[in-house]
Amino acid sequence: MIEKYNLLTSDFQRDAPKEMMLLSIISQSFFQPFSLEDNLLVILTALTSGSGVGFNRAMLFLKDGDRLRGEVWLGPRTPEEAGYIWEVLSTPGIGYVEIIEHNRALVSKNESTLSHRIKSLVFTLDEETCAQMPALAACNREIYLVHDAFNEPMVDGKFMELIQVDEFLCIPLIARDEVFGEIILDNAFTHVPISPGDIKLASLCGLIASNYIYSTTLHQRLLDAEKMAAMGEMAMFVTHQLRNPLVTIGGFTDQLLQPGGVADNKRERNLRIIRDEIQRLENIVYQMGHFLKISMKEPVYFDVAPVIEAVIQSPEVQTRKQGYALNVKFEACLPQVYCDPTSLGEVLRNLLDNAFDATPPGGTVSVRAYKKNKTSFVLSVRDTGKGISSPDKSQLFRPFFTTKEKGMGLGLPFLKRVMDNCGGQVEVQSRVGKGSLFKLIFQSREEGRRP
Amino acid sequence: MKKILVVEDEKVLCLLYEEELGKEGYAVTVVYDADAALEALGKTAFDLIITDIRMPGKNGIELITQIMGLRKDIPIIINSAYQSYKEDFMTWAADAYVVKSSSLDELKLKIRELLGE
Repeated sequence: MIEKYNLLTSDFQRDAPKEMMLLSIISQSFFQPFSLEDNLLVILTALTSGSGVGFNRAMLFLKDGDRLRGEVWLGPRTPEEAGYIWEVLSTPGIGYVEIIEHNRALVSKNESTLSHRIKSLVFTLDEETCAQMPALAACNREIYLVHDAFNEPMVDGKFMELIQVDEFLCIPLIARDEVFGEIILDNAFTHVPISPGDIKLASLCGLIASNYIYSTTLHQRLLDAEKMAAMGEMAMFVTHQLRNPLVTIGGFTDQLLQPGGVADNKRERNLRIIRDEIQRLENIVYQMGHFLKISMKEPVYFDVAPVIEAVIQSPEVQTRKQGYALNVKFEACLPQVYCDPTSLGEVLRNLLDNAFDATPPGGTVSVRAYKKNKTSFVLSVRDTGKGISSPDKSQLFRPFFTTKEKGMGLGLPFLKRVMDNCGGQVEVQSRVGKGSLFKLIFQSREEGRRP
Repeated sequence: MKKILVVEDEKVLCLLYEEELGKEGYAVTVVYDADAALEALGKTAFDLIITDIRMPGKNGIELITQIMGLRKDIPIIINSAYQSYKEDFMTWAADAYVVKSSSLDELKLKIRELLGE
């Protein structure tokens, strides 16, 4: 007999030992689509979320060149608040997304006070000059527990002024022999002494956090390298895309300017050609700018139905559907979907454009929106067009790959970026001569449910 | 009347070349890809070929290679949006390389040169 278990626990069980829960929450960061900052915050939340295991407050420093820079300070301000956070974390059915949302709210509440002040703290990591806590821990790559901190000369004065606590723990964040930062933990409210058990657990969390930062940094470097390669390809492509319209505009303008001019019907034709080519240039410029926008917007939960509705009813789509059967089917009650709403709208518009481009007039384009299960939502676009050949299929998401005469090859790469950004998935099915199906799968939740 | 074959996938550019070179007194035939060019070469004795490089299907460099195999001594002008193909030694087999520009003067000049006018 074989039993199947999920790779990720969907909720954190109340009856599990708190240590287990803490590590479970932290290790799940690796699988989440959220930003490095969001995931680090979760780690800090986990470290400060209860009176039993956790600490009262956690402060994160990140390495910035040869300096250690204060980044964020998280922690309940009272023991009651700590209890409340633990309640939130251990509520059955509460997922990672809710914790993230909770954190964002907490940080924005603290922004003016704690987090703002910690950002002014910068210490050198230079081995020659670094002699005081907290930077010494990162510099020496050792965990330090500081007691009687007010009377300890090896603690930085400005740092003491800010944290105002007698005892604190410094955990350097190190992975693959590289320092990434430091976490400072204390029990400023309960004044419970930090035990050897607490230190062990905190150092384990520190190791996981360091590896997480390390892999994220590596991933970012890889993305940057890919981006550079794509830029070279892009420069080539754009040259071609821009030159052809320029030749056409130049040539037909010269005809108009010739002494003696041209016949009336030809003048109008030339002007139309020039107008079309200018529109094409405009489109190229728009799409390039759009694609090059480096940062994607943060995903949020939003009601998906009005967004889809707006795209279908938009003048562009209403004009394009002439001569086709556009078949739209929604479930009566659509959930809240996790994505950036504007990007989702653009993605749908791109898919519809592609579907119409691929399908000869008289064909059918179908849009479906439905709940796949309690936590995922599907948006699909199907056409009865020419389909995608196997060699083309592997290139679908490569920037500047296109089979259209005047395409830029940026629509589907944009789609891929949007889906990656919100932790969604894309499925493509296609048969040459029969048509294609693009299925987008998003994280979703029941309407109106809030953490 | 000298006969020119234009190989270019962009239809509106073909229209421009057809009209502009026609005005110069040439008989212009336009085709949209390399296969159509080879077919036209089998039927008509052209005096000059103008070809793009990036085209769907066979590209311009493959086309030039095949024309060389036909052992017809027809001058060829490469007319591409890219400068960089000049680095591909196969493009050296062509008689001229004119980068696409908003003025057709250079192209017209090269045609006259190659046709000995």
